[in-house]
Amino acid sequence: MSIKSQIPTIFLTLISLVIIYLALQLKLSPPMIVGDSMQPRAFPIFLMVLNLILTAILAIQIYRNPPKEPAPILRITWLTMVLMVLFYALTVSIDMFVGISVVMFLMSLVWGQRNILVALANAILTPFFVFLLFDMVLRIRFPRGLITNWYYG
Amino acid sequence: MIEAITALGSVFFDPYLLFLIFATTIIGIVIGVLPGLGATTGAALLLPFTLTMSPVHAIAVLATIYVSATFAGSITAILINTPGTSAAAATTFDGFPLAQRGQAGRALGIAVMSSTFGGVASVIVLCFAAPLLARVAYEFRPPEYFALTIFGLSMLASISAGGAVKNLIGGVFGVWLSTIGAERVTAIERFMFGNYELYEGLGFVPVMIGLFAMSELLVQSKIANQAVEFVKMKAVQLPSREDYKKIWKTVLRSSGIGTFIGILPAEGATVASMIGYSEAKRWSKNKEEFGKGSIEGIAGAEAANNAATGGAMVPTMVLGIPGSGTTAIILVGLMVHGLRPGPYLFTEQVYSVYQIFGSMLAANIMFLLMGLYAARLFARISLIPISLLWPIVFALSVIGAYALNSSLLDIWIVLIFGVIGFFARRFGFAVAPIAVGLILGKMVEVNLQNSLKIFHGEWWQIFTQPLAVFFLILAFLGLCGPAIFAWIVKDRKA
Repeated sequence: MSIKSQIPTIFLTLISLVIIYLALQLKLSPPMIVGDSMQPRAFPIFLMVLNLILTAILAIQIYRNPPKEPAPILRITWLTMVLMVLFYALTVSIDMFVGISVVMFLMSLVWGQRNILVALANAILTPFFVFLLFDMVLRIRFPRGLITNWYYG
Repeated sequence: MIEAITALGSVFFDPYLLFLIFATTIIGIVIGVLPGLGATTGAALLLPFTLTMSPVHAIAVLATIYVSATFAGSITAILINTPGTSAAAATTFDGFPLAQRGQAGRALGIAVMSSTFGGVASVIVLCFAAPLLARVAYEFRPPEYFALTIFGLSMLASISAGGAVKNLIGGVFGVWLSTIGAERVTAIERFMFGNYELYEGLGFVPVMIGLFAMSELLVQSKIANQAVEFVKMKAVQLPSREDYKKIWKTVLRSSGIGTFIGILPAEGATVASMIGYSEAKRWSKNKEEFGKGSIEGIAGAEAANNAATGGAMVPTMVLGIPGSGTTAIILVGLMVHGLRPGPYLFTEQVYSVYQIFGSMLAANIMFLLMGLYAARLFARISLIPISLLWPIVFALSVIGAYALNSSLLDIWIVLIFGVIGFFARRFGFAVAPIAVGLILGKMVEVNLQNSLKIFHGEWWQIFTQPLAVFFLILAFLGLCGPAIFAWIVKDRKA
């Protein structure tokens, strides 16, 4: 059995312990407010103790019957995740719709679209129509940015 | 009763609602035929678009997506051997072989008719079963509700994807997510890290969009360049009299199985279709045809998966416990639109409830017509390159998540839960238990707190309540039943 197959259980154990630690840092409420009920920290701690028990069972299951190792994550998937971060960076620094268009265009190319014009058209027209739909029909105000500033005035 | 019948009938005389159902059926079928984009993802993406609609129209839209996308998964299952939704996986076993034999039209005809029958039968059951269950649920107090939610969470163990332990871990993680924000009684901030946008807790909608749509986007990136084999077809054929003679018992049986499976909390169309298929095989006189293009196999799977849609709405609306991933989103839709799921829905909003049921009935009829006359056209949509399709899903996901609260934090939540969902699925954890856990989490904690108050802090008093004990025994059997059963069988063999 390789240690790799226990990655999920190690991660879950760490997460559960961190959450228990954070829960223990929560303020205690005066007894007159809590009454017969429980302190706000009790429920999350109970949940994480339960999670630790379940994780231990899972660890034994994996030890007895190791699962097939998952295939390595493809470069295309990593790039897609990077594009998600890029989207957020562009949204807060320039404009949400610039972010969506740029990421849609790059994502199309990364995912194997050969025709740049088609990818470009998809990246410009889709956000445009979705923006119009949300703005005019659903009356949603989008965050201010390069394009929205110009549109909203 | 008269009010219920009037409400059911009113759907067919409301042109705007009919138009909405018609348009949503088209969208639902498109979503269903696109591999990877199932009913759950579709409902999550469409939820923000329903914000300005009336509650009935909004829930009708979501329910229509559920019904039509569940059916539409069979189109690609039959024509390209790729189930559009997981619920149509069993349809590929016989649908594609029959299509390869040059009978794609017949296979689709059987699928459409069986799905419609299953769907309509389950809505009829829904109309009768839901108010009866609501009458029982009136008697529920916090201890009973607490036990019921525990039962709902225990049923996560048997969700099809992932193992029982993994599903339970996902469920517990989901319940923990529901504790983020200010605690209800004391207002003490939990796990907010100073972010006051989290005061009311994590938004259901961005978490759902992240877990279902964004994680699916990352999963789909693995198959970005795969080609599909497309079976040509002239037109969809209605089943012949001989076909009907051969399948009617299977359709009836699978409709019953599907409705029952759907009613069980946390079970869904995928489990129903698998059981429907295996039961069709078990009772068939022509077992050797199964796997080679048996029409009974197609009918068994399709009637069951669409019957599960009506069944799954029963616990969702009556008890506030979702019967599947998609009903979890419908439940969120009910809450967003101010309809309080639970037995009181059946006294306070009878008319609206039956209009929603009527909409599901209308949706079944709409997809029957579209399935018969436009399945070929819809099937071609599945050939849209995913390099164009998934960037569109990305745009809809982030804009939709932002739209609900006009909050950039919600976009972060979508992206973070997309990545969490992706890694969870990579290690064999299903994402539906996390979603169901998040929804049920508040109910568990609040009802436990209220029970403690009722019993003056003596938690064991919960076990003195007969209905609560009944649900806790069911939960115990749901969790340990399979292991006990396996142990007994092993012991007898020894």
